[in-house]
Amino acid sequence: MAVKTFTSATLSSSDTNTYLANAGLVFVKAQTVGTAVSTVTVSDAFSSTYDDYRIIYSNGTASSTCDIRLQLGTANSSYYGMLIYGNYAAATVSGANTNAGTLFPHCGGADSNYCIMAVDLFSPNLARGTLISTLTNLSGVNFGLFAGRQATATQFTAFTISPSSGTLTGGQITVYGVRKS
Amino acid sequence: MTKPNIQIDDEVREMTDEEYAELIASGWKETTDETPSSD
Repeated sequence: MAVKTFTSATLSSSDTNTYLANAGLVFVKAQTVGTAVSTVTVSDAFSSTYDDYRIIYSNGTASSTCDIRLQLGTANSSYYGMLIYGNYAAATVSGANTNAGTLFPHCGGADSNYCIMAVDLFSPNLARGTLISTLTNLSGVNFGLFAGRQATATQFTAFTISPSSGTLTGGQITVYGVRKS
Repeated sequence: MTKPNIQIDDEVREMTDEEYAELIASGWKETTDETPSSD
């Protein structure tokens, strides 16, 4: 939709509805996380309606300090990626690689006071590899960027998040699709 | 031994032995390790 310049102080219902319907990120679904769960599967998250997605998990807590991990469908192989991170207490950059892993291991972080995961997923429902990028707070004390790829041509419809240790409680996982036109 | 809970959409239940084995195989631990590690 072309950018429109408004000249009136009052938006018409037509203009308002058009702009609401043409937002860049479109709500797909939300899932409330239960109590003391070690994995959370969100079904019917990806479809042919959108190619790319943003997934946010916030307002939950964890039983212990942990990373939040993400698995596509039931795929437990062919995950590749690189984490670049630093601990806030030192001006040193470190890295950790994922080479033929079982999931994307560094997608967010949580402890007893916070929980955050915000990832962009590219083409999970297309018959090609799925790419991921995150910018996040890992394990409470580390801040970094993880980028990765699941290298199969599987057309995924679901994903599962899990803590690297312990359990998650509460909060909401929200899935948005990136409008194509 | 009580196994961790699994959530699938709105259903929450205890993991089966097979699901628990898959969770362990993914590197999940009961204790915290704050150092990111290679997978």
